[in-house]
Amino acid sequence: MRRIFVLLVFSLVLIPRWASADDRLNVVTTIETLADLSQRVGGEKVTVQSLSHGYQDPHYVEAKPSLAVALHRADVVVRVGLDLEIGWLPILVTESRNGNIQPGQLGDIDASTFIEVLDIPTTQVTRAMGDIHPRGNPHFWIPPVNAVRIAKGISERLKQLRPGDKAYFDGQFDKFLADIKRKASQWDGEAKPLAGLKIVTYHKSWSYVSRWLKLQEDGYVEIKPGIPPSPDHPLRLISLMKAEKVSALLMEDYYNRGIAEEVASQTGAKLIPMASDVGARTEIRTYFDLVDAILRNLNGAHR
Amino acid sequence: MGARIRSLIKIFAAATLAGWPFAASAQRNSAIDAGRAVRAAAPDAGVPSAESPLSEQLEAAARGQAAPASAAADGGTPSTEPSLSEQLDAAAGKPVPSAGVPAAASPQIASRGSFQSLNPDIAVIATGAAGFSQRAPLLLAGDDPDLKGSLTEHSAGITLQELELAFQSIVDPYFRADVFLTIPNLNGLEVEEAFLTTTSLPALQVKAGVFRSAFGRQNGMHLHVQDFVERPLINAAYLGTDGLRPPGAQLSWLLPFPFFLQLMGEVFSITAPDVPPPGSYPHLPSFGGGQRTDLTYAGELKLFLPPSESVSIFGGLNVATGVSPGLVQGDATIHQGARTILYGVDLYVKYKPPNQAVTYFSLAWTTEYFLRRIGSTATEDGLTDGGLYTQLVMQIARRWFVGLRQDLLGVPSSDLQPLTSRTTLDLTFYPSEFSKLRGSVQYDAVDSQAAIIQQLALPHVNNFAAYIQFEVAIGAHGAHKF
Repeated sequence: MRRIFVLLVFSLVLIPRWASADDRLNVVTTIETLADLSQRVGGEKVTVQSLSHGYQDPHYVEAKPSLAVALHRADVVVRVGLDLEIGWLPILVTESRNGNIQPGQLGDIDASTFIEVLDIPTTQVTRAMGDIHPRGNPHFWIPPVNAVRIAKGISERLKQLRPGDKAYFDGQFDKFLADIKRKASQWDGEAKPLAGLKIVTYHKSWSYVSRWLKLQEDGYVEIKPGIPPSPDHPLRLISLMKAEKVSALLMEDYYNRGIAEEVASQTGAKLIPMASDVGARTEIRTYFDLVDAILRNLNGAHR
Repeated sequence: MGARIRSLIKIFAAATLAGWPFAASAQRNSAIDAGRAVRAAAPDAGVPSAESPLSEQLEAAARGQAAPASAAADGGTPSTEPSLSEQLDAAAGKPVPSAGVPAAASPQIASRGSFQSLNPDIAVIATGAAGFSQRAPLLLAGDDPDLKGSLTEHSAGITLQELELAFQSIVDPYFRADVFLTIPNLNGLEVEEAFLTTTSLPALQVKAGVFRSAFGRQNGMHLHVQDFVERPLINAAYLGTDGLRPPGAQLSWLLPFPFFLQLMGEVFSITAPDVPPPGSYPHLPSFGGGQRTDLTYAGELKLFLPPSESVSIFGGLNVATGVSPGLVQGDATIHQGARTILYGVDLYVKYKPPNQAVTYFSLAWTTEYFLRRIGSTATEDGLTDGGLYTQLVMQIARRWFVGLRQDLLGVPSSDLQPLTSRTTLDLTFYPSEFSKLRGSVQYDAVDSQAAIIQQLALPHVNNFAAYIQFEVAIGAHGAHKF
């Protein structure tokens, strides 16, 4: 018995971890936008994998054991934070038995700590309000200012993890900043006509985009976050949208379109299916594609 | 049927409506938040700090906005607005040429209003049940709804099937701890689980304390993640009425493969279960007999394969061995001290497309088979029996699930385990992630020719039962395993 145990321990030490084949940092992110940003600032010094896909609702990802295997091999996990992934990530991190990425470790990057959080409840929160995020709105990764802040935060942490590659990571970040600034005047131009656009969104997930583009959010199809609308709520919403002359209804691709289509058709507002993450559609492969698509879709509705 | 479902939907809609005053308050909150957000935007937007006149502030308040920011939003101070490119430089912490952009690049994280607490996450889960049964079930798991009836009479009633108290926290950089206290059927406080888990051992993980064994699939699950009102019969029959959750330790090893393959070894210290009162169904416990030095050992191998994004296959091979405490029959105790070996195989196949916009439809099929070998003793021959369940749970709409389960005990049968079938059909509605309502009907059919059944002289050998179950979860409860 003892001999078997000794053999077991030896085999553990001797069998190399599959991921240690090269010296690149293994970065695992929860959503694809964070994967794209990580790849940009990490360059050739990282391999990046996202646990969810852009066409999935990031609130509801299944905690499949295969994801625990991905986390087991990770040097760094980059997550959105603000409890967006609370339904699936914590159990996977525990199951990963990976000391590097446990909460509070250097390999645990909470992107929400880099940005200014909106929609933090200022009064007592109860679940009668639905499945709200008591620490603020986690749908923050789309506005370019936040993308830069997140990229900066990831870059700083990569430098801490690999001090020898500091100059390389600085160079990658500067390259990303230059790339995004090249797009900035185009985006500024596309954003200008959108200021003041009255919108209704399905889930309260566009606060940051609305603030960036100065959109006016007049209501939400979901009466409360995470709870499907009751039959009378759409009626109230329809009369509100007619009174306010709301011109666009935004919803992520991963929500069911039934009620939103009904509301849009009765109010004359245009239903705009919105990609909210890289990978939401096949043609959206990068963060830049994502912002381009969002601005294009919103401008399409405006006309 | 369709009309009935529609009327049910109306009832739930009405229930949702009853909560509308809260919605109003939530909307007020979001209005407040919006105001806050705009105020917070003010320093970034580089608005002059000079206070607006009171009349402007009052007008802004009437519009539900904060005064300084409204000026910016209305285009009142367009010239000071930095371009996106300048804002990006500021966010990157680079020097910015424009005077309009504040030098402070980092967001005001410190001003976040969230309140820090080092208390563990605390949750309470209450599961109530009401039901009717022609007779008490032959085998009842500790957290099955207990209508307190006898084997010879109808019973109907209401019970608090389980009250669970959960305390979960990270201990330090090396451990996490999970404590689950339970009060099943108002029968007093029990420790359902209380264990620590290592988080930082390379490839290995140690779990120690009182915990649910990884033997099979259902045994590891708490009541509130069960797909049916009652646990499968094989759990009570072979793992004990409370399931296999004694004090012990577990070592698990995630094998170094690109797929999920996990090997687990467990050792438990099990005390003999209470002797059931006379007149109850005679049932031979698997473990907990012998000397105090006779520990129970278990080993499990778990394999997860995702053939596609929509399909998951999770299988397990399990074995456990211990000493049976025996069964009291009249003046004698039979099979006392016999070596028990329990084999188990489980398979879980799930189809769920990752993109919910296409469909909420999902389908999960679970099957578990247990085979028990009771060894011979000096005076008795051994025996072999087994059982299985197979269940199909279908998500038919975002918040609706239909489940069908077939339990079979006595494959193969033995003197102590007659052929027993239970067929269960249920419908579950989740108003939100934190509440659920379930209706269930079930029919038990038992081999009436078996000697052990004839001794009981049951007025109803077969049994029909129906339950309504309702469950609420309050507080912060951790995520559940796949």
